[in-house]
Amino acid sequence: MAGGQERILRRRIKSVQATRKITKAMELIAASQIARAQARIAANRPYRDGMARVIYEAAKSDPRAAAKLLGTPDRVQNAVVLSIVGDRGLSGAYNSSVLRATERLVAQLKSDGTSVQLITVGKKALAYFRFRGLDVQQSFQGFSDRPTFSDAREVARVTAAPFVNGEAEQVIIVYNRFLSAASQQVESRQILPIIVHEEAAVDTKKDLEGYTEFEPEVEQLLGELGPKAIESEIFTALLEGAASFHTSQQRAMAAATDNADELGRSLTRIMNRARQDAITTEIMEIVSGAEALRERK
Amino acid sequence: MPVLHVEIVTPESSLWEGDATALIARSSDGNFTILPEHTAVIGDLVPGVLRVETAEGELSFVEHGGYFQVNTDHDADATTATVLVGTAERTSDIDVARAEAAKATAEAALAATNREGDLDDAVLQSARDALARAELRLGAAK
Repeated sequence: MAGGQERILRRRIKSVQATRKITKAMELIAASQIARAQARIAANRPYRDGMARVIYEAAKSDPRAAAKLLGTPDRVQNAVVLSIVGDRGLSGAYNSSVLRATERLVAQLKSDGTSVQLITVGKKALAYFRFRGLDVQQSFQGFSDRPTFSDAREVARVTAAPFVNGEAEQVIIVYNRFLSAASQQVESRQILPIIVHEEAAVDTKKDLEGYTEFEPEVEQLLGELGPKAIESEIFTALLEGAASFHTSQQRAMAAATDNADELGRSLTRIMNRARQDAITTEIMEIVSGAEALRERK
Repeated sequence: MPVLHVEIVTPESSLWEGDATALIARSSDGNFTILPEHTAVIGDLVPGVLRVETAEGELSFVEHGGYFQVNTDHDADATTATVLVGTAERTSDIDVARAEAAKATAEAALAATNREGDLDDAVLQSARDALARAELRLGAAK
């Protein structure tokens, strides 16, 4: 009987509406997190800029001492790649685009004869690389939504160790850069040796450049500065990653909610038609039954 | 009147910002004081207590290592001291109970490492750092 189909459709509509409720809730939560994540990026900026200025000044005043810590090495035999993604899915292409970029980078480094140590942040990364048979040296998880500086410090310690011990010549970070609420992009960037940001000079008075005194000597200072600077770099990347994650999730969940609305509408339409069909058929049956009875009289 | 503008920033927030008459702290070369019109200097900070003297009185902070930069703008008669520290807090904000607990945890961790004799450098180091931090906080709070 046609009423069976109607019941099935009603059940599907209910399930779509339940899903919609979840996606809508996730959308709203993600949206509220975006603002907070953005505020944290803004709060981190003075520290990052200050760090960049210190490095810039130190590099300017003693280029020879800075050489080990700065600039791109000519020949890289061992590299460390740090890939930053989220702990959770349901966030559009956020995780997969970073992971694919990491995989490409690793493949390229390997084809150039560089051995690669892979370090990851985020639950999603471990599953992805394990499935693809790539060796993950160490992985971190559990803080990608709201990273703190001590998380960053821990990641930095592990990531910088091979460079500090002289086992690796380069450290590259792959993460989702948060350019604005409307635009994020995957970026892979060398964090060790440190790249001096020329913009850092803007704040410094031109006539004072190179007249800065150092306490202790630049050489000693730079040795400590490397690991410290990448703590800051990694923290910034974690913060931007978190902001990108929430943005991406908000967008994905908004799309899912729209989709559920659309699906609910079309299912309702189909259900109404099915019900109308059932009624029409029933009337037809009654009418033709009545006709048959009358003819027999 | 020359001013000394002090900014104390951590990666998570700007802790304090304002005009001061002096900044007293400790670098690996020893204690130092920055006064207005100090020459441009960059240095490190060892974990300790950092004091800022302002017209309204003295502020004290506990910091766990970092850097400072002093910049002087002779035209504007302004000196800016930027303090970059990983973790820092106002001495008055220190939670003594929490610091005591952290100290106990760190001591227990150290004792455990000693007993096992299995010296994982990283674990040992992080326990030692935690202990040093807790002791510094407690010392400053008293």
